[in-house]
Amino acid sequence: MTSPTTTRPSRAGTLAGQAANGTGRWVDDRLGSSNFVRRSLNKVFPDHWSFMLGEVALYSFIILLLSGTYLAFFYTPSLAEVTYEGSYTPLLGQPMSEAYHSTLDIAFDVKGGLVMRQIHHWAALLFVVAIVVHLARVFFTGAFRKPREINWVIGVLLLILGILEGFAGYSLPDDLLSGTGLRIAWSIMLAIPVVGTWVAFLFFGAEYPGTEFLDRLYIAHVFIVPLVLLGLITVHMMLIWYQKHTQFAGPGRTETNVVGSRLYPAYAAKAGGFFFLVFAVLAAMGGLFQINPIWLYGPYNPSQVTAGSQPDWYVGWLDGATRLMPGIELYLGPYTVPLNIIVPAVVIPGLIFTAMMAYPWLEQRFTGDRDYHNILDRPRDTPTRTAIGAMSIAFYMILWISGGNDVIASIFQISVNSTTYAGRVGLLVVPPLVYVITKRICIGMQKSDEELLHHGIESGTIRRLPSGEFVEETVPLPVPYRIALTRVEPSELGGGHKQLANGEPSDSAPHGSGHDDTQWVELDKPQKQGFLRPRKSGSPRPESTPAGELEGSGQQ
Amino acid sequence: MTPPPDAPKGTSADAGGSIRDRLRGPEPATPDAAGGSTGSGLSDGDFRQTDSAAALAASGRTDQQYSSSAGTEARDELTHPRKTDLDPAEAKRAERKVAGLFLLSFVSVLAFCVWYLVGEFRFGEENQPLFTPVLGVLLALALGGVGAGTVLWAKTLMVDEEAVQERHPFGSPDDERAATAEALKQGLDDAGVKRRPLLLSTLAVGAGSLALLPLPFALGMGRWQHKERELASTAWRAGMRLYRVNGQPVRLGDLQVGSVESVFPDVELPQLRADSPVLLIRMRPQEFTPLPGKEGYDYQGHIAYSSICTHLGCPVKLYEQQTHHLLCPCHQSTFDASRGAEVIFGPAARPLPQLAISVDEEGYFIATGDFDEPIGPSYWERDSR
Repeated sequence: MTSPTTTRPSRAGTLAGQAANGTGRWVDDRLGSSNFVRRSLNKVFPDHWSFMLGEVALYSFIILLLSGTYLAFFYTPSLAEVTYEGSYTPLLGQPMSEAYHSTLDIAFDVKGGLVMRQIHHWAALLFVVAIVVHLARVFFTGAFRKPREINWVIGVLLLILGILEGFAGYSLPDDLLSGTGLRIAWSIMLAIPVVGTWVAFLFFGAEYPGTEFLDRLYIAHVFIVPLVLLGLITVHMMLIWYQKHTQFAGPGRTETNVVGSRLYPAYAAKAGGFFFLVFAVLAAMGGLFQINPIWLYGPYNPSQVTAGSQPDWYVGWLDGATRLMPGIELYLGPYTVPLNIIVPAVVIPGLIFTAMMAYPWLEQRFTGDRDYHNILDRPRDTPTRTAIGAMSIAFYMILWISGGNDVIASIFQISVNSTTYAGRVGLLVVPPLVYVITKRICIGMQKSDEELLHHGIESGTIRRLPSGEFVEETVPLPVPYRIALTRVEPSELGGGHKQLANGEPSDSAPHGSGHDDTQWVELDKPQKQGFLRPRKSGSPRPESTPAGELEGSGQQ
Repeated sequence: MTPPPDAPKGTSADAGGSIRDRLRGPEPATPDAAGGSTGSGLSDGDFRQTDSAAALAASGRTDQQYSSSAGTEARDELTHPRKTDLDPAEAKRAERKVAGLFLLSFVSVLAFCVWYLVGEFRFGEENQPLFTPVLGVLLALALGGVGAGTVLWAKTLMVDEEAVQERHPFGSPDDERAATAEALKQGLDDAGVKRRPLLLSTLAVGAGSLALLPLPFALGMGRWQHKERELASTAWRAGMRLYRVNGQPVRLGDLQVGSVESVFPDVELPQLRADSPVLLIRMRPQEFTPLPGKEGYDYQGHIAYSSICTHLGCPVKLYEQQTHHLLCPCHQSTFDASRGAEVIFGPAARPLPQLAISVDEEGYFIATGDFDEPIGPSYWERDSR
């Protein structure tokens, strides 16, 4: 590996080079790592803006570890009652827990503590946002398909743990808001049929609030959950590394290769620089945008609550679900099953997360597609999957919006009750509608792709034919676009392009060795430029593709 | 990156073929082969934005550029040199920009340190409100300079390559799998599992029982033995006065009609007695209809309800004077205070438990006992018949 760009090595550069050589030799003498390092440096990563969503999550996690460690130097997880004597005068002399006191100290008496705490909180919000959006990207592009099902499941686990970790985090300050949230968590545990009281007492040690929960929450928040997160993230990264990244269709890109830039130097520089950019954005947010001003909420008091109390955004959908659920309890003799709690807070999230984890296998079962897939789908090419995703997002969004129905009601001056009824109806009506509409849109977009493939791009040139008919000339779609749309290499097109009319027949298209399952399709007869009449046309992808089966009815 | 001068100027079949050739190189997975492809000048910038026909049509340059032979089309498409590749002056400008960003970081770090040392950060100090925002912005500039500079460097000045690497097949060949399965089986045979089945079954029993070991420890984490009694009882006892949050007991006549007061039992650390807060409401006696079985719990129009919501335990605090509605701010369960706190809206399923109250000889309100049912959210063992 030489660097041809440096023409005039400086003296310092030479010294650094010698030092690097020396270190490299020392390490290689002991580990024999040269070959591994070289292979790693040359590893190819495909590039697409949507691939950085996971990076944002990873970087947020690192920032969370850094900022959280600093906060832990000052925070005291204790419910012991103390009197406030810090520099925030409005609370002077108030009785409060040591936990709340120490959190106030981080805001007012630790230099730079507030910016650190706010970076930590913003990073936590961004962490879950990035996971959710990344997960959506992976879903809609079909990146979860074989061989990446394991990483999909790990991703869902990371999302669940991220939500739990965030909840544990904002429950630590023992302010009014966090106490309210914790009590709801206690109540949900209590509501689980048969074992509920055992579970709740296991976590809290005694009847809420008890005296031990804060220590347990703390060790969970700073040690247990982060450790599991770290382990899962490590496995997630190792699998990405080993299985190589997926890529979108394009010239030269097949199921059996990766096209992109090598790790070293360009990709590493971009990724490393991006970490600092994410950190910079979070630092600016931590400095400029106030978040969770616990000194305004006051210390926790079980008899107090503020109107319009909202959890952090990622818990909002569960809050909304509990708001929409009608008050139904089931009485089995002397026993109570609080359906109004366990359905929205246990059953629904349980089903949703289970369905998410099971989705790769469900799709395999319904499409019969058990092939390897390294080329990503465009969402429109898999209308059913895209519609399922959009439907789920609609379901989620209605729950999430309902989590703030009191705020909506007060902003728009409407009755809270109507917002609840609207949410209940919407939850049942909107997702199916979204499913149907999304599927139609996808199929419409496929049709427009077909138009482009078969008819080309409108040139704006009008020609008059001998018969007197006016036609507009069209220009065939440029090859790279064709490849992106059809996943077919130009040499395999066979027809479909006037310059390729005498090209190799498509059935002689060389297939990659091994498990190559690229769909080589034969397009319709070559188009004659300028003589395009509306006609019924098939999909650019053959009926026999697995995704085609998933698309089902829409294709004919 | 311009295409090599001897690049075939043929049809797009050629162009595609050349890509295929690269993919099919003798050892494409080796770094050298991957590196060798860097000169082809592929850049994906051009064909990435293929999402919509509208975008294509809007690009406007399609007619002129692609009406020539298909071969050059492919080449044109695949070749997308950056300004900095073509123009040395542009490259120099980019270099200066990157260097400037790196220096911005350096300056910001210095400014950050100075501000951290001299800034006023204690509440009440004159410039305290500025401390955190400026600190955050300087931190952002320090980190962002290095970040933006590095990304810009990579995007404008580092080799813009399109490298190709073969994927290795994931599944092993069948004979490989068979051999591995055979080795595993052989190991079991070597261990004598078949000949000594007793060992395997006793191992399963012994090792399996280890899973029980954490159970006693888990049982030690909660005070299980009294959990149902704890859940069913609160701190209220007969004769206990109703104290305001400021520690003053409530006397008959303190409350106006239509007013409401949060009251607590007389216990230490009432803020830790999460199950005991009570809402004392006064309305006209004729406005109040008690629930069956709860007649006489009220006292001259004073009614005491547990303020812990029967849904998820939030304090029910919002009282509407006119309608006598009690609203839980967490999930909008609404109770009718004039009819025994029956649920009239929302996810709660049961009325708020009512505390029986009376007045002692000194005129102070007292509880005549604990609640006659568990307060707060439902749970399995709660007998709600």
